[in-house]
Amino acid sequence: MVLIVGVIVLIAVNIIVISINSRRYTTFGFERIAISFVAPFQELVTRSIDFIQGIWQHYFNLVTVSKENYELRKRLNQAMEENNKWRELELANNRLRDLLNFQKRITKRVVAAEVIGKDPSAWFKTVIIDKGKADGLTKGLPVVMPEGIAGQVIEVSNHYSKVMLIIDRNSAVDALVQRSRARGVIKGESADRCRLNYVLRKHDVRVGDTVVSSGLDDVYPKGLRIGRISDVVKRNSEIFQEVTITPFVDFEKLEEVLVVLDLQKHDLVSQQ
Amino acid sequence: MIYCYYISVCLILVILQTTIMPHLPLLNRCYDLLIPFIVYLGLSRPARESIPCVLFMGFIMDNLSGSPFGLYITTYLWLYVGVRGITKMLEVGKRLLIIALLVVTGVLIENFIFFATFRILGSQSQLTAEAYHQVVYQLIWAIGTGPLMLLLFRNMQRRLDVGLKGFFNHKDKRKINLQATAHGQILKNR
Repeated sequence: MVLIVGVIVLIAVNIIVISINSRRYTTFGFERIAISFVAPFQELVTRSIDFIQGIWQHYFNLVTVSKENYELRKRLNQAMEENNKWRELELANNRLRDLLNFQKRITKRVVAAEVIGKDPSAWFKTVIIDKGKADGLTKGLPVVMPEGIAGQVIEVSNHYSKVMLIIDRNSAVDALVQRSRARGVIKGESADRCRLNYVLRKHDVRVGDTVVSSGLDDVYPKGLRIGRISDVVKRNSEIFQEVTITPFVDFEKLEEVLVVLDLQKHDLVSQQ
Repeated sequence: MIYCYYISVCLILVILQTTIMPHLPLLNRCYDLLIPFIVYLGLSRPARESIPCVLFMGFIMDNLSGSPFGLYITTYLWLYVGVRGITKMLEVGKRLLIIALLVVTGVLIENFIFFATFRILGSQSQLTAEAYHQVVYQLIWAIGTGPLMLLLFRNMQRRLDVGLKGFFNHKDKRKINLQATAHGQILKNR
């Protein structure tokens, strides 16, 4: 009986204390000790969990990001490659458009060819093009560019030909100074410039004058641009002046050329 | 087989210097890459193997270049003869300095023959400063890369020899085994 009463009293006291405490928050200092004691461990464990969780999540994130990065890089490379391809196509298109316009301007029949190889030696300036006998090319045909004369076909196989550029030492083009009509022969110097030989001292030749083909060599059509005079030296003791010419064609960037076909010969070949 | 290898090396070098190198800024002034190969042939290979290869290389270069036909054949033959002569006088072995000097000499010989030809043919009375710069660039390239190329050729040749030896040994062993089996079968049947 006493036990039952005691339990009831205890429950009542308990309820009273809880209800009082719930209305007014009071601390006794033990909580602080407990917190101070437990919290560091809690913190440690929580942080560790967070850390591991972080690593775990980051790892997966990194794996995903890495994969994504790889994919994006791949796509970027592809895009760059595509972009480069389009740019190349655009440039080729422009060049071919120029060639086409030039082809319309020139009255003779021409064949467009691509440069596929350059001379293995630094001392000779020849290129190999991808057109040959099968396309109507023969030895001696002139090779031109929209900017001016490039060279002459010196060897022909079935599908390829060798072209000697005007900057080669063995090349010679009969030329005229456009303004004064002074005549001379352009010889290559194996660098990217030529020399206009046999121009008499009395002739009026100035730096900046344009030099064109005279058509007298029976190779190059008359009036095709060759280059601009970059230097003139007149020596009192010599009959001729030393004239240096910078060609209009950039031979370092030669990619496509036009071969001017000899119409008569070509017609004969096609008739045969 | 060895000729196929030489032809392949020659074609690779020629294509490299006619299509790729002219478009690269510094390499467009490099020397003739066949020179180290000829030096290598002169140093390490017998004449019966080397001379046809040297002639082949000269022929290809003469055809591709705007040079008078025969200039490269002549140059390469003289170069080869010169290297053979030097190897008879000196013990070259694996001394990098001498190898580098040989490649440099090769480049000089080639340029000398070219200039002499220009002079004889009268295609140009005087050589420009740019021509000298060109030679200097070629020599610098030759000093830097010549010995490396020679070592590369040696290494490739060694690998090829080992591969061929292994292949033929294997073939011989198989042949012997087959013969032995056939012989054993005959004895058994008797």
